Amino acid sequence: MRTGVIGQLGSYHLETSSLRKQCNPKLRCQQEAAAALSKYNKGNFTNPAVCFREISLSWSTQKKMKRNGLECRAEAIGSIRATAASIEVGSSKRSPSALEIAGANIVETMFQPVLDAGPPDHSARRVSKVTVVGVGNVGMACAQTIITQDLADQIALVDISADKLRGEMLDLQHAAAFLPRADIVADTDYAITAHSDICIVTAGARQREGESRLALVERNVSFFKQIIPELVKYSPNAILLIISNPVDALTFVAWKLSGFPSNRVIGSGTNLDSSRFRWLMANRLQVNAHNVHGYIVGEHGDTSVPLWSSVNVGGVPMIQFLQDKGILVEKDSLEELHRMVVDGAYEVIKLKGYTSWAIGYSAASLVKSLLRDQRRIHPVSVCAKGFHGIEDEVFLSLPAELGRSGIIGILNIPLTEEETQKLQASAKALAEIQSKLDI
Amino acid sequence: MEATVVMGRRVGPGKTLELCLSIQCSKPRCTRLQAPAAASAAATPKSTGLINPAVCIEISLCNFSMKKKKKQQLQQKQTKKDTGVWTGLGWGKGAAAEGRRWWRRRIQAPRSKSILCSSSVSVAELSGEDGDDIANVMFEPMFEANPSDISIKRTSKITVVGVGNVGMACAQTILTQDLTDELALVDILPDKLRGEMLDLQHAAAFLPRAKIVAHTDYAITAESDICIVTAGARQREGESRLTLVERNVSFFKQIIPQLAKYSPNAILLIIANPVDALTYVSRRLSGFPTNRVIGSGTNLDSSRFRWILADRLEVNAQNVHGYIVGEHGDSSVPLWSSVNVAGVPLLQLLQNKGIHYGKHTQEEIHRMVVDGAYEVIKLKGYTSWAIGYSVASLVKSLLRDQRRIHPVSVCAKGFYGIEDEVYLSLPAELGRSGIIGILNIPLSNEETQRLQQSANALAQIQRKLDI
Repeated sequence: MRTGVIGQLGSYHLETSSLRKQCNPKLRCQQEAAAALSKYNKGNFTNPAVCFREISLSWSTQKKMKRNGLECRAEAIGSIRATAASIEVGSSKRSPSALEIAGANIVETMFQPVLDAGPPDHSARRVSKVTVVGVGNVGMACAQTIITQDLADQIALVDISADKLRGEMLDLQHAAAFLPRADIVADTDYAITAHSDICIVTAGARQREGESRLALVERNVSFFKQIIPELVKYSPNAILLIISNPVDALTFVAWKLSGFPSNRVIGSGTNLDSSRFRWLMANRLQVNAHNVHGYIVGEHGDTSVPLWSSVNVGGVPMIQFLQDKGILVEKDSLEELHRMVVDGAYEVIKLKGYTSWAIGYSAASLVKSLLRDQRRIHPVSVCAKGFHGIEDEVFLSLPAELGRSGIIGILNIPLTEEETQKLQASAKALAEIQSKLDI
Repeated sequence: MEATVVMGRRVGPGKTLELCLSIQCSKPRCTRLQAPAAASAAATPKSTGLINPAVCIEISLCNFSMKKKKKQQLQQKQTKKDTGVWTGLGWGKGAAAEGRRWWRRRIQAPRSKSILCSSSVSVAELSGEDGDDIANVMFEPMFEANPSDISIKRTSKITVVGVGNVGMACAQTILTQDLTDELALVDILPDKLRGEMLDLQHAAAFLPRAKIVAHTDYAITAESDICIVTAGARQREGESRLTLVERNVSFFKQIIPQLAKYSPNAILLIIANPVDALTYVSRRLSGFPTNRVIGSGTNLDSSRFRWILADRLEVNAQNVHGYIVGEHGDSSVPLWSSVNVAGVPLLQLLQNKGIHYGKHTQEEIHRMVVDGAYEVIKLKGYTSWAIGYSVASLVKSLLRDQRRIHPVSVCAKGFYGIEDEVYLSLPAELGRSGIIGILNIPLSNEETQRLQQSANALAQIQRKLDI
């Protein structure tokens, strides 16, 4: 069907490489239309309106626009839209309206190009693009927080249910007057994710109440076998950010399936656990959570390891300080705090059915560090081989410096013996599960 | 000091309720259980917001046992204190510790799993004696300071009634944009409410510090600056907004008087549909002046309108200005005569260039706007994100006294020949005191007629309401 459309444009031989400039405006515009449609067919654009923008922009580079040239272009655009609109684009089937065809004329009328303007350079990627796979509660919380914090210029949403996907896309687009301009697109076809900078994967089975995170693994591996290769195919230079649970095992799976270097496959890990940890401590001390520093590392789940030896408040190492003042710290209360962190997610799931807002903020914080090259340290799920005596190729959370190229390095945080042992135990448990996976 | 029940949770087969009571002390860093006072306060069903007498009995029993435990613990601590060795996070020894005693009151919280404590839930229990002691050791107060002086209240507080999709989208967008210092959530389902509150609180490390509280009792909304009401029945697919009215009026009779009672100086912002009728209902039920009762109206419709035009013109939506006024629904009125792009009037410009933007096109765009919400509801079941941003934009204009112009639902009596006291959307200037004034936009004859028709339709519905 698609080649038939090209055939309707006449006897033009479709050239996908650069076109020779035609002097005749009518032929020129048809040529450009063909080129735009070829890009459309290659899957770079699924929104017909976008490729028409290409036409109008390159046309504006002409020094003299004759009136007949303008009319031809409108004709060509009209015919392309009529035919392209008949192609079903995923779930978004738009019939052309008079408005769309009139729109081209209005743009030309309102905005006049300057003299000797150069052609727009689309070869260099200047806009940042984030893909979110899965538009459930977690995926949409991530997308919405990223948009609100103005972190990306393009957001692409992908899911298997087309209606829900389109509904969410429209809901976000309707807020355009209140948001900085962001291009929000959505499709069930992964072609829409092409040239992403970050791919956030939230798709997966939801954690049931009382279910251990590790029991989710098998269910989610089959999903990932469909998702990851597609993402890799369309965005070979992207950073993969895995949120679906169990995050450590699935980050390993994503790493194996994608073939990416380990600095470009990151799991959200204990970023949120550490946030809950810092909130609890800050609540106890009645101080801002931003001034309480402490990491929880290891598995994102029951065997995570709170690094008490490095917890500090405004730079003051807490346990050490209290000991110096002659106050012994009770093991039980520390254990209790850690248990509250681990149970925090289960509690929210029991009360409202799922967690969304906190993980959304956590993901947006990671995206900011990555896209804006912030070089901040986050406890995220990384390949831990070679750190703290871990020999297996396991993924677990360690404090990592994040920047535009992904993981720049792992912070060499000094651990006590006990913490090291716990971390190694966590690593062993994860390695066991990883060995049972079918990859 | 007042007793406020801040957390509730249902456990077991549904017969007993666990309560964690937290009494807010006027001193800083003291969020401790005052056991006897708490129990006596809890004994009155009114303050707990519960009607189950079994709860009160359990609390009073616990109170009894707590007193004994309290004595025991005090004795223990006393002996340990003398030796200077402390197994818990307690007082250090020395005169400095004694000297700080005036600074705060120490209340013993029972450690056992009594009804007043729950190991996985209670923040009050967590910030037991230990936390306060650590805080006092790490942070030293200054000479003759009084940071607990609560007469200097400069913090802003927003209440969101209803924690469904719309309410939580509003709450989350407001928090992300850092518009308020305190956020109170109210709903009738305690579990869902608590879950949402915890989910927001867990993001503390990524957000500016905001106090997030939630309860089924409206007492928690006291002294709010803005009360956002999103609670109400959801619009069903294909259902006209106007058929929701009767269902929602009964909800509002429970909600609005409570809000007005606890925050008599607040601004009411109504989101629940049908928004115009319900804003009228809120005004009548609250008795507030008309500048302090606002409906979200066509703020979102205008956003959709601007988005559609901007999409066609390939320009930023914030440079396209155009209002949709009147009813938020099928009979809304797009003001085409005043649509402009960065100040350039659109229709006039096109006419001068010989391009006719026909009626058909105008109607089509307007229909896309009106159908926009229905389409999203059909596809994903509800709308949330767009209305969340719309509300956050209104809240910012109100709280930060921005004096921006938004098309919101206001009392339209006296404007454009409307004689009835109807609520419909007009471009209004919003600031800290609510609606400062209505913009006198010149309308064409046709637009005025349509607006009056919209007003008539709304007045009819308002007359039928039982208030």
